[in-house]
Amino acid sequence: MGMQDKAIALHDVDLSLGRGAARVHILKGISLNVDRGEAVGLIGPSGSGKSTLLMTMAGLERPDSGKVIVDGTDLAGLDEDALARFRGRRIGIVFQSFHLVPTMTALENVALPLELAGDDEAFERAEAELQAVGLGHRLHHYPAQLSGGEQQRVAIARAIVPNPAILVADEPTGNLDENTGGSIIDLLFALKRDRGATLVLVTHDLNLARLCDRMVRLRSGQVEAAPAPTVA
Amino acid sequence: MHGSLPATPQRRPGFASRLPLLLRLAFRELRGGLRGFGIFLACIALGVAAIASVSSLSRSLTEGISREGRRILGGDMAFSLLQREAGAPERAFLESKGRVNVIATMRAMALAGEKGSGLVEMKAVDGGYPTVGMLETDPQLPPADLFAERDGAFGAAVDPALLARLDLKVGDRVTVGAANVELRARLVSEPDKIADGIGFGPRLLLSQDTLKATGLVQPGSLVRWTYRLTLPAERSTEEALTQIEAEANRVLPEAGWNIRTRLNADPRFARNIERFTQFLTLVGLTALLVGGVGVANAVRGFVDRKRASIATLKSLGAPGGQVVLLYLTQVMLIALVGIGIGLAFGAVLPFVVTGLFGHLLPIPIQPTLAWSELGIALLYGVLTALVFALAPLGRAHDVPVSGLFRDQVDPERRWPRKRYLAALALTVAALVGLSLLAAYDRRIALMFVGAAAGSFLLLRLVALGIMALARRLPRPRRTAPRLALANIHRPGALTPSLVLSLGLGITLLVTLALIDTNLTRQLTQSLPERAPSFFFLDIPNQQADSFEGFLKSQASEAQIERVPMMRGRLVTLGGRPVAEVKAPEDVSWVLEGDRGITYAAKPPEGSKVVQGEWWPEGYRGRPLVSFDRKIAEGLGLKIGDEITVNVLGRNISATIGNLREVEWRSMGINFVMVFSPNAFAGAPHTHLATVTFPNGSDAALDARILRSSAQAYPMVTSVRVKDALEAVNDVVSQLVMAIRGASSIALIASLLVLAGALAAGHRARLYDAVVLKTLGATRARLLSAYALEYGLLGAATAVFGLMAGTLAAYFIITRVMNLSFTLDLSGAVLASALAVLVSVGLGLVGTWRILSQKPALYLRNL
Repeated sequence: MGMQDKAIALHDVDLSLGRGAARVHILKGISLNVDRGEAVGLIGPSGSGKSTLLMTMAGLERPDSGKVIVDGTDLAGLDEDALARFRGRRIGIVFQSFHLVPTMTALENVALPLELAGDDEAFERAEAELQAVGLGHRLHHYPAQLSGGEQQRVAIARAIVPNPAILVADEPTGNLDENTGGSIIDLLFALKRDRGATLVLVTHDLNLARLCDRMVRLRSGQVEAAPAPTVA
Repeated sequence: MHGSLPATPQRRPGFASRLPLLLRLAFRELRGGLRGFGIFLACIALGVAAIASVSSLSRSLTEGISREGRRILGGDMAFSLLQREAGAPERAFLESKGRVNVIATMRAMALAGEKGSGLVEMKAVDGGYPTVGMLETDPQLPPADLFAERDGAFGAAVDPALLARLDLKVGDRVTVGAANVELRARLVSEPDKIADGIGFGPRLLLSQDTLKATGLVQPGSLVRWTYRLTLPAERSTEEALTQIEAEANRVLPEAGWNIRTRLNADPRFARNIERFTQFLTLVGLTALLVGGVGVANAVRGFVDRKRASIATLKSLGAPGGQVVLLYLTQVMLIALVGIGIGLAFGAVLPFVVTGLFGHLLPIPIQPTLAWSELGIALLYGVLTALVFALAPLGRAHDVPVSGLFRDQVDPERRWPRKRYLAALALTVAALVGLSLLAAYDRRIALMFVGAAAGSFLLLRLVALGIMALARRLPRPRRTAPRLALANIHRPGALTPSLVLSLGLGITLLVTLALIDTNLTRQLTQSLPERAPSFFFLDIPNQQADSFEGFLKSQASEAQIERVPMMRGRLVTLGGRPVAEVKAPEDVSWVLEGDRGITYAAKPPEGSKVVQGEWWPEGYRGRPLVSFDRKIAEGLGLKIGDEITVNVLGRNISATIGNLREVEWRSMGINFVMVFSPNAFAGAPHTHLATVTFPNGSDAALDARILRSSAQAYPMVTSVRVKDALEAVNDVVSQLVMAIRGASSIALIASLLVLAGALAAGHRARLYDAVVLKTLGATRARLLSAYALEYGLLGAATAVFGLMAGTLAAYFIITRVMNLSFTLDLSGAVLASALAVLVSVGLGLVGTWRILSQKPALYLRNL
């Protein structure tokens, strides 16, 4: 199987951030393939480069060298605007701190990526997605009127609504209590299964990582040998 | 299983569908409220209101004048002649066109026996007066009763000011020349008042028979005869007016009359309004530009607050350009609200002014919704908002999405991308273009643009300089100064915005204070020590010597100067008709209307020949004329050029023989044009005399001279210089008031901006203050550090403001107002010290509020 067939293919990716004396070499020659429909858990200590790797996969950071191919597209060939549109269609992102737009209702937040892509049925689809995450009764609430778990559900609905090929999630339960976190994870995996999407999950939580098809451990910007996967 | 997605056709949104999306998103985002935009709104609204008010008021005035043209002129056209009545052919020409009414105006002395005498502006009307509008008197009398001769006295209506000055009442009598005049009514309103301009004395309205009876109309006396032509209604078209004007000039080229039509009833007044409007518009624009700093600060804060939303939008697929457009849409929507408030204020003002004060105004005002002027104010508002919002908004393009994943140190401020800089350059060019296009005097507008650009640039440099200096200074050992210095130069410091807003404010204050003191001084203190106390006009030629003798007997110690004088209008310059000469603003007055001219055998005192030779004694050749050098240069004249003046209906040509430099402010007698004596041999003329007391005079002596001269020489008009200056002073002080009013708007704007900058600084400082407090810093220590910081910044900025303001005032006084400049910084220093104190105070009040908060409350949320 070539790199083009993978959901995500990274080849020898190097990335440094900062300038001059403050420059830090974060990703050091990372090569990693993620199959379509696969769930991968990225684990590793703080500062190991997990989030940066995730951002590189989502086209939010450009590597200094190496190749990043996502859903068959070489990201190096896209300019910034094309990258933004590509992200809007193919990649759904779930953040640790939700990052909902505070001035928009749940429905408007979820409709946003569709509106940006020029979808005429943005609101119908957004409403259906909110129903699917169990928030059909909260459509017109603002983020501040929702609990943490509800906000993260809205964020997940927003990530999934354009039917992206790839879902990336950065510590999606990091700001939630255990029970709520558990139901969010159930939701995320259920949606992944239903849509057949690829999921890359950054987490500190080994139990959560074990739910994935595969775990990838990072240390000091390099991939360590992965422990054997436990199929959920 | 491979989760390839249903390939939903993803089309790129077209422009049409993007625009509503932008608006939709913008409105959604604005739901968060206008927090942080209070100063922004106020700045825009204030600036636009200033510009809109000035222009729509002035439009209402000019509209009033043009609509009331017939009333002001007292007919469709007015033909005015100086010092002579129309001859038979001229009269016949006018009468062939329509109904003719005659008005004669001249200055004279009204003598009230023991109560003294006063200068009056006489206006003699015929039976048809007023042709348009209503003459209001108190009591209201029919013209026949008002003016008729009864019991040996002619009737007249009088400006109440004369009654007050001479302690008279209605029914009393005064003597004017040889006539007894009974003051039968107070003059309440004259429909055609502004056509006569500003007078030096109160009006005395009487009949032409009375004027004849005074015996004051002699060859050479300064009477203006105005023939008002009323056309039959069906022929009173605009074309007809222009046609008649052209015909009059063609058929009677020697008449030398000044022709006005109702379309352009008072060109000089209209021009003055325009000139003053431009000045006030520039003051309004200053307010808008100063407010622009507030706009920029608000937008920068807005983008900072929205960083997370911006990053989120980008993570959801919005390209940077679209994000910038979205936030630009929001900012401009808010700007439009501010502009709307300003425009509404400006649009309503003429109606409010007319409603409240219309009946008190001496000039007609026609409240008008001045759409084009409001449109220009709108453009100014939109362009200013764009100019100041584009750069900070452009930075939103590069807000990194990665900020959502990790806490970031404040990214260094980079320049916005090229496309935003290009857009900024275009908008700045449009703003400059608009201010030049809308200007009455491009030169002044250009100077304004240069000064504005220079101030912004300089203040930026000053801020950078202060920061660089603070960085290089050795670190003080004590905490408070160390904190203060660090606060001045650290990244994200308050220095640039504080220096800009305070610097603009102080510069403005200093400029205004210096202009104010200079204008006031010009009018009061700078009166030369040897200024004359009196001018005597209309001294008949045959009585000139005896009058001089009389003056010597009255004021033996005084210096008396006397010159022949007549009035004339320039007709051609170097062979070109005056109408075709495009003269610069500062000399064009010479071509407007009549000028006093004289002849002399020797160069007049107070002037010296700087080019060419004065004519020899007893010169009999071709008439020569001596010109004021500056004015000759302004008009493009040189020695050897020929000019023609019309005096008493005769065109007289003379060659420029030499140029003089004139010390105008000595207030002695001087003339732009002095002719060789043979130019006017035999022409009837009067004399002008001045009386100067080497040691000054007192009121009692002045009064005695006035009274005795009016008794002995009723034909001679005396003008007491102090009274005349007071009349001018009144007008100028009203102008100064208007300038102060408009400028205070600019000052309020700069205060708003300053308050806004300080408030933004406080938000950013909350964290420092709370952490420092947690670490044990006392409030007093923090406060003294902040006081030191604000004080240092304020003092450095004030020094700059003093210099820049002095420079600006110098240019305005010397180049725009053509006056001499004296540096008296006492007021300016006081003003800027006050400004610094106020800003330090404002800063500390805000800081104190921060310091009074409990740290835990903030630490939890930080």
